[in-house]
Amino acid sequence: MEKKKLCIGLYSGSVDKLTAAGIILSGAVADDMHVDIYVLLQGARAFRKDIGDNPDKLQMAENPAMKAEFLQSLKTLKVKTWVEFFRECKTISEVKIHICGLAGKIWGAEKLDDFIDIADDICGIGAYITATQEADVNLFI
Amino acid sequence: MMDVGINFINLLFKMEYMTQEELLTLPVTKTVDARGTACPGPLLEAKKAVGTIKPGDIMEVLSADEGTKVDIPKWCTKQGHEYLGTIDVSGYFRIFMKKR
Repeated sequence: MEKKKLCIGLYSGSVDKLTAAGIILSGAVADDMHVDIYVLLQGARAFRKDIGDNPDKLQMAENPAMKAEFLQSLKTLKVKTWVEFFRECKTISEVKIHICGLAGKIWGAEKLDDFIDIADDICGIGAYITATQEADVNLFI
Repeated sequence: MMDVGINFINLLFKMEYMTQEELLTLPVTKTVDARGTACPGPLLEAKKAVGTIKPGDIMEVLSADEGTKVDIPKWCTKQGHEYLGTIDVSGYFRIFMKKR
């Protein structure tokens, strides 16, 4: 049976929304979905090798004043970091992470090697649009 | 009261579930202890573990996460596995399934 496809436009580079993306991704791979993640503007910054899992370099999209409490709760509940979610999901199902070339350039990262090792390639917007047309489910985070 | 809740979940998924006594006699092949993790940890642990057992084998997932007792039965249905039932133990749940 052909696997269902999920396409995520990951615009956000905030730690709360990236964590949500990791949780959603986990549910998708548990269902054997194939997932394409297109990392857009703010998201590309979070994927930079020198930022990634460092919460000091990431903001909160909502309730910014409660960032420390949010991060502490995640730790208490033993919730993985967003990078750990993404990394684990790539070992369970087909998950491809594509970085928008323009977004990378905006944040001073042009080569694949500039991003954390879970990124698969650098692409243009055409690839994202094509993926949205081919997906069974589309999310924009 | 908890039993009523678990029975409701079983009915919600319209399953012919086993009694608690029957569940306790099942020959469990694999136990996944996911009590230390919150959602989606138990679901991911179950997903990884089911790949290590054979069709017909029985697996139980231990979870203290309330959402898991809904997630696992639904996941079993979608994946074609058989959800057998849930036992409420003090502080956690034992969720039983058979791999198809």
